[in-house]
Amino acid sequence: MKPILEFEDVHYYYPGQKRSALQGFSIALPVGEKIAVVGRNGSGKSTFFLHCNGLYRPQSGVVRFDWQPMAYNRRSLQLLRQRVGLVFQNADDQLFSASVAQDISFGPLNLGLSDVEVRRRVQAAAELCEVADLLERPTHALSSGEKARVALAGVLAMEPEVLVSDELMASLDPWVRLRIFDILQQLHDQGKTILMATHDLSVVRYWASFVVVMEAGQAVFCGSPQRLLTDRPLLEKTGLARVWWRVEPSFPNEEG
Amino acid sequence: MHIIDRYAYNNRIRNVEPAHKASLSLMVLLLCLMLNKPLVGLVAAGWMFLLAVGLAGIPARTFGRVLLAETTFLILTTIGVAFSISTRDPGSITDWAWQLGPFWFSSSPDSLYYGLVLVTRALGCASAMNFLALTTPLVDLVDLFRRWRVPPLLIDLMTVIYRFIFVLLESLDRMYMAQDSRLGYHSYRRGMISAGLLGSRLFIDAYQRSQRLQIALESRGYTSELRTLPSRYKDDRTVLWVSVAVAVSLLLVWAVGNWVIGNWIIV
Ligand SMILES: Nc1ncnc2c1ncn2[C@@H]1O[C@H](COP(=O)(O)OP(=O)(O)OP(=O)(O)O)[C@@H](O)[C@H]1O
Ligand SMILES: [Mg+2]
Repeated sequence: MKPILEFEDVHYYYPGQKRSALQGFSIALPVGEKIAVVGRNGSGKSTFFLHCNGLYRPQSGVVRFDWQPMAYNRRSLQLLRQRVGLVFQNADDQLFSASVAQDISFGPLNLGLSDVEVRRRVQAAAELCEVADLLERPTHALSSGEKARVALAGVLAMEPEVLVSDELMASLDPWVRLRIFDILQQLHDQGKTILMATHDLSVVRYWASFVVVMEAGQAVFCGSPQRLLTDRPLLEKTGLARVWWRVEPSFPNEEG
Repeated sequence: MHIIDRYAYNNRIRNVEPAHKASLSLMVLLLCLMLNKPLVGLVAAGWMFLLAVGLAGIPARTFGRVLLAETTFLILTTIGVAFSISTRDPGSITDWAWQLGPFWFSSSPDSLYYGLVLVTRALGCASAMNFLALTTPLVDLVDLFRRWRVPPLLIDLMTVIYRFIFVLLESLDRMYMAQDSRLGYHSYRRGMISAGLLGSRLFIDAYQRSQRLQIALESRGYTSELRTLPSRYKDDRTVLWVSVAVAVSLLLVWAVGNWVIGNWIIV
């Protein structure tokens, strides 16, 4: 297994907070996998993701991307952010421009591409995310699901190798959700790595090829879904077994 | 804000090159200021109204409502110019003086004339700016300013402030509804408390949002400038030709006023 992203004993705390958001967080994420990250509210998923392209810098510990420890100078960060694209949990945080088309063009322009190429990418990303007919609309006149799709298009237009999305599906309708899963599958087929934080356990069961379970700022599990499903003690300890059994009665419960 | 914005994005000349629309508005603005005659201002306001309604398809009521809001301020200031109020008898300075209780109101043909010039000139200028605001969304203006080499910092500020106005209005709206639905405004006292909480919360919200925006921009490779693709516009010169017609007509009104009718007060 070749890890693309590695965290080693990472600590991060927000100023003024008693408890660290990440405390001794260690994982190794294999390249080209569909990775689901699950954990309770406040377990540190978003904080973890903000480390993935160097937006946050750990107070201690190491983050490695593609074997290299992350460097936090301007040039390395620029390269890193080109290769790791992050879709934010709240799309409103990400959209800055008044026009949808302009917002999507922001990332590709920062890559220094020509206007013609940027236009092509904006159009392609918009069609992929089904926002092509919204391109001329102002961003403040969109529904939250539409905003989420625009935010995704803005990141896809940069064509990153690793796509990190923080609860992307939460506000999307099931039709678009299916569509996004198709897109993610395409990206997967191109050999890209996909990271997704989710509260939807069926994603873990039927989509993911690798799972990270987080609890109180630590990764308590890191491996294939099959292994997770057979790790009874862990399922019991994290309470996943009970939750799972409730949402999916066919899930083997305590009695077997 | 919302209503202006709505029409800016949906009008019949939305996709016309913003430089044309801006030139028309700026030209009318300049002519109104330079020619400085009541009739010119009125004709200019008339033109802008006709173009907004006829050419851009803005409802007459909307144009009127936006203008009315501005005119209210305008009239209040003009009253100060046209009339003076004092506690003493202005006596021989002017014939037009009325006493009302302890106050003397006075005016003169000259100050009335200045009042009139002021109102009509401002009416023309305001209509010109309203025309631009109602037909051109800010994205297009920002685009235009970039081409006109306005400093990038100013442009970025405009972009972000504009976006934030809506983000904050939306938070305000949501928080107000959230409070209202939990009976936060059922009495005057509770209402004052809720409004206070909302105000401070909104401030914190704005601050946190600006930080998150900064992070999100960096994530997409932001370095020092918010670069986005320029929009593409329809190749339609109608507005340019209209501008010429408007300019000629304003100059004509001015010339006719000056030379044919002489210095008749209305002209
Ligand atoms: N801006 C912040 N300032 C201070 N503390 C924060 C901030 N953001 C998060 N935290 C704290 O850090 C911890 C981890 O938060 P994080 O957002 O990473 O959780 P999460 O797993 O993404 O949760 P959720 O499922 O609700 O999105 C939480 O205890 C939270 O209270
Ligand atoms: Mg989160």
